[in-house]
Amino acid sequence: MMEITVLDWLDRTAGRLPDKTAFIDESGILTFAELQQIARQIGSQLLKYKKDRQPVVVMSGRHRLTPACFLGVVYSGNFYAPIDATMPVARLTQILQVIQSDVMIVDRDNMKTVEKLEFRGTILILEELMEDTAVDEAGLERIRRKMSSDMPLYTIFTSGSTGVPKGVITSHYALMCYIEAVSEVLDIGEVDRLGNQSPLDYIAAIRDIYFPIKDGASTVILPKQYFAVPAKLFEALNQYQVTTLCWSTSALTIPVQMRAFEYEVPRFLKKVCFSGSVMPGRILKIWQEHLPDVLFVNQYGPTEATASCTYYVVKERVTEDTVLPIGKPYRQYRILLLDEQNQETLPGEIGEICILGPALALGYYGTPERSAQAFIQNPLNHAYRELIYKTGDLGRFREDGELEFHGRMDRQIKHLGHRVELSELERAAEEIEGVTESCALYDKEKEYLYLFYTGEEQKKQISIEMRGKLPGFMVPRKIINLPEIPRLPNGKTDMVTLKTYFS
Amino acid sequence: MDELMEILEELRPDVAFEKEKALIDGHVLESFDIVSLVGELCDAFDIEISPAELVPENFNSAEAMWKMIERLQDE
Repeated sequence: MMEITVLDWLDRTAGRLPDKTAFIDESGILTFAELQQIARQIGSQLLKYKKDRQPVVVMSGRHRLTPACFLGVVYSGNFYAPIDATMPVARLTQILQVIQSDVMIVDRDNMKTVEKLEFRGTILILEELMEDTAVDEAGLERIRRKMSSDMPLYTIFTSGSTGVPKGVITSHYALMCYIEAVSEVLDIGEVDRLGNQSPLDYIAAIRDIYFPIKDGASTVILPKQYFAVPAKLFEALNQYQVTTLCWSTSALTIPVQMRAFEYEVPRFLKKVCFSGSVMPGRILKIWQEHLPDVLFVNQYGPTEATASCTYYVVKERVTEDTVLPIGKPYRQYRILLLDEQNQETLPGEIGEICILGPALALGYYGTPERSAQAFIQNPLNHAYRELIYKTGDLGRFREDGELEFHGRMDRQIKHLGHRVELSELERAAEEIEGVTESCALYDKEKEYLYLFYTGEEQKKQISIEMRGKLPGFMVPRKIINLPEIPRLPNGKTDMVTLKTYFS
Repeated sequence: MDELMEILEELRPDVAFEKEKALIDGHVLESFDIVSLVGELCDAFDIEISPAELVPENFNSAEAMWKMIERLQDE
């Protein structure tokens, strides 16, 4: 029978490999049978709230029960909206206002954070849900019969240029298309062990969550602090015999900057795929030198197309000057390059990368006008309905058909693997009393966010206040007070002059 | 020690470095903080911090960092 939802994957894998490890963390393991059982328990209890295809907020940490909780929401016929409790309360509150859910599942460690949020709905504690081992077989079956592959699976939040985070909604079908396609390229199977780096609530974790469920692989949820001390990190990769990494480019960069290979080489690794920002040649060169037999795959794509849409298998010996192409579309994806008149660009010309195919998101939660702007009818198709997603990224096809990445059309940047709208930083800065004007810039070389501002407020105070509103990676590293923001004759900010402040 | 406190203060103005004892284990400093910090410490104190030194015990507090710096300066 056709696979309709990710639950079909889970049922199949739990039936085939009940005792195999699905997820591992510092304190233990979860087998596929346990994963399925816990998810069904949680699903059964959520049935009481009689929600149908509604968002359920999940605030659960970096541990093996979090994926079980996500799937529990799915069994109940709803979709999960994961949020990161380490984010500032102001940010979490904004997200809760967008998602408007009346049920939230929280793990015990995050109860303190919940108390600070003004959440009026029902709060369920994960550990308490797990104590009740009853499964409402008939109820789950009734819900299951009504599920369809186009229903939402999750909503994941990303930086929005208006200052309010955008909730990208992904359907079961989109996720399944994507995971199938990447699994094929990386040849994922039961023997694979993934080392999870991305926060579980973030888009980059979907491979770590769904490769086990689909293919019977296992995922090790690596403790966050290991990433600050790479010697420990590589030691852990060997201890857990990790074969596969799907990490952000910046997570692969840090061990090189801290010279971790001099200490230990992750010798079980077979495949490494990366995404999030352009991989510097000098970084990949060092990975390749130490791990010459590993398959390296460059990925490109936005959350709006379920994580990635193109990939490039690195075939060459990488040098310091290598700029990798972003490659070819994954199976079921298509790419169009459009010019400003929405016409297809001529061969060899740069155009806006537009994505087509069944893996496009269902839009942004609660904001149909934003969705309508970003997902539009394919301007080249006058015969039937076919949506494209306009990424705002520029690209060009090489003669051999591989796509190259040529930067952004607007002021969105990629910083430490996250999407950041520079205008969102400025908005946050200008909300602070004592800041008159501001301009945010990105030093790509050093990976520093800069904030230039005019006004009376102290730099230290600005840093503290911004940390109270924005996720840590969005807080500017360098804050510079100026008597005035330099302007060009046409009144626009003189970015070139500001960039001379980059040290 | 004053110079170290200045560097830390500049790096993360929101953290009370004189009190904090679990900078790494308590997830106060992120990996990208450590990358910039290590670079700045090497420059400021003319030391080399090898990967083997990059362990939580050496970075959990300002005091531990200072001990490490002094040790590396003697080497």
